[in-house]
Amino acid sequence: MSIGRVAHDTDRFAGMSSTALGTIGRRQRRFFIYCVAPSLAVLAIITLLPSLYLLVTSFTPLNLTRPETQWDFSHPWQSYRELLADGRLANSVWVQVKLSFWTVSLQLLIGLGLALLLNVKSRLLEALRTVFLIPMVLPPIVVAIIWKVIYTPDISPMHGIFRALGWNVPALITDPQWALTSIIVADTWEWFPFTMLMVLASLQMMPQELLDAARVDGASPWQLTRHVTLPFIKGVLLVAGLFRLIDSIKAFPLIFILTDGGPGNVTEVTNYYSFLQAFNFSYLGFSSAITVALLGATVVLSWVIIRAVGWGVRVD
Amino acid sequence: MTGYRRRSILRSAAGASVLASGALPSPAVHAQAKSPYDGITINASCFQTTYYEYLKTYLPQFQEKTGIKVNFTMQAFPVYNQRTDLELSTRGSAIDVCNVTFIYSGRWIGAGWFTNLDTFTKDPKYTPAQWAPEDFVGGAQSAMQNAKGETFGYTWEAGAMILGASRFDLIEKAGLALPKTFDELIKVCDAVHNKEGVAAFTADKLHHWNWIPYLMGMGGAVFKAPPDNLTPTLDTPQAARSAEWYANLLMKYGPDGILSYSDDQSMRSQMSGRANIRTQAITWMVPLAKHAESTVQKTVRYGLMPAGPDGNFPGSNSHGLGIPAGSKKKEAAWEFIKWALSKETISMIVEKHGYPSVCRLSVIKSPEFKQVLTLNGQDVASLFLEVLQLGGKTGYMKYRTVPVYPQVGDKINKAIERIATKQQAAPESLKQAQAEAIQDLQKAGIKIDL
Repeated sequence: MSIGRVAHDTDRFAGMSSTALGTIGRRQRRFFIYCVAPSLAVLAIITLLPSLYLLVTSFTPLNLTRPETQWDFSHPWQSYRELLADGRLANSVWVQVKLSFWTVSLQLLIGLGLALLLNVKSRLLEALRTVFLIPMVLPPIVVAIIWKVIYTPDISPMHGIFRALGWNVPALITDPQWALTSIIVADTWEWFPFTMLMVLASLQMMPQELLDAARVDGASPWQLTRHVTLPFIKGVLLVAGLFRLIDSIKAFPLIFILTDGGPGNVTEVTNYYSFLQAFNFSYLGFSSAITVALLGATVVLSWVIIRAVGWGVRVD
Repeated sequence: MTGYRRRSILRSAAGASVLASGALPSPAVHAQAKSPYDGITINASCFQTTYYEYLKTYLPQFQEKTGIKVNFTMQAFPVYNQRTDLELSTRGSAIDVCNVTFIYSGRWIGAGWFTNLDTFTKDPKYTPAQWAPEDFVGGAQSAMQNAKGETFGYTWEAGAMILGASRFDLIEKAGLALPKTFDELIKVCDAVHNKEGVAAFTADKLHHWNWIPYLMGMGGAVFKAPPDNLTPTLDTPQAARSAEWYANLLMKYGPDGILSYSDDQSMRSQMSGRANIRTQAITWMVPLAKHAESTVQKTVRYGLMPAGPDGNFPGSNSHGLGIPAGSKKKEAAWEFIKWALSKETISMIVEKHGYPSVCRLSVIKSPEFKQVLTLNGQDVASLFLEVLQLGGKTGYMKYRTVPVYPQVGDKINKAIERIATKQQAAPESLKQAQAEAIQDLQKAGIKIDL
């Protein structure tokens, strides 16, 4: 478009009345709505409708073996009352808290540490970065099977080494003292590369001027990290932490393959308990109530974390 | 005008072809049609097991005979049960034939999710007399029937729990015999544990199947009077004593990590000679003597499940084939069941593959079956029949086919794990299991004595 044409258009708009400009604005808004509507419709069908059905189901005692329970709203709060009286559910929430706290913390720490170490231009370190990404790209079931082998004493190379060293290490996934730790270790191994990848990407976008200016002011490497780098990547760490937190609440394959929630209920997280209720016992109404509560808790928790931590520094 | 012409031409052509089909001789291919089901495809879904693996290899014979094509899918046991439970509950038509799993049979049949097969067996148009539905072992078939005695499945497997000692040579060396009582079992385990690096006992993690014979042998029970009174009885002193005893058996004499063992892992621990004694269904025991990879083929010996002070209660179960209520190809599905469970097919699988746990009496009593199940000179076929008869006599296995057993079984599994790992004492753990089971049964609308 030529400069002359732009000038002409500007003159044309300048001459328009506020009514005409309002009409254009309304048309623009309508056009915007038409553009977004199909996406919103698809989103509503694939996301909101199932969620709505979940919510509706949670107000019924739906049991697959009793079809009459499907639309029975005679006691809508029954499943929620049962949630409060269920000791096993309370235990699963506590297990969930421990699992989420440790996995998210360790993944953030290890991911951040490795990203800081690997943020150097070197062919060797670039190759190493790719190697570190392998656990994250493996299918979760494959990861679970790898760790099942590692944790099964008869066939485990790890236990083989322990035996050779004369150490009597018990089967970790069947020992109540170690079972949850075993899951935490496996989950951390699988997902720390995610944090590492996000932090690395953020570090590589950090303006060199920020670091140079701090160095000119006499900042030490520790001060550079503490006062420049960390504030800069705070937002990315928050996003990575939130992703990992939400994923940790959805933990399933590792628990399903490694421990089945045991021994006893030591590794039974809320998500897994909800799965058992729905698919092993057919209590879909009760399971939906657990899921709705879990969904609500996740949203509230995420909001609290965002409010508390903030999104970090924004550099335009 | 054009449309009219086209319609007229089509109508004339259709009329001409109808006339032609009546007037002219039928083409040869029409005359040779094998069955009214020619060209039909049915979907069969089952869990992974050797019987179905063998059966699958003979499917071309079935297709040749009937013209029915079978899409045969198999999944791991828990996955199959979960998927099928969901599919059946929708009364969908995705599956035409499927496995009726023992532990779910009460729930699936009780909920009306399967087709009454009496309509087929009582009609000679569908089932010739020589197919003989009465030839199936009565005890095994009882799990496939409802309270009115109507039949919803025919059994392909009758599981019978026996004792298998993969390294009997170690027991002999200790001057002992196969244990016949619980006390003798402990004595044998004490004598052979860790001899030559072999753990004395092994089991899989399905405690709600493996522990129950020990519970009943010590005077306990799962429910008050199944199937009529499903009040759980897990918090009795007998149950606590038995659970303590069983947890000790696992932890003191089992290999490290025994609590995470699957069926297959447990069998492999015996086959590789890493563990000695196991009490489990015969299907998991015969491979010790027959499987090419077994290192204990010569040393394995079999016996009856040991008896407790209150008697002998070896587990027995059965799995069948049934037709989901929602299937739209029921007749073709029945053709498949008829073929898969015919005397001829079962005999063929027994003779060619040595499959042990079949349900047709005529096959079980045949010399071929006896020959196949004579292992290291032992008549294992007789052991098998003895267990099936024991289960049928007093009906002590009724606890297992009640619709709510999956829920209660889960509580038992967890309770045994807590006791074995010393998280809780037996009375405390079983008290918790009892409370959780009651809560669950009430949720399912079951009346309980409180």
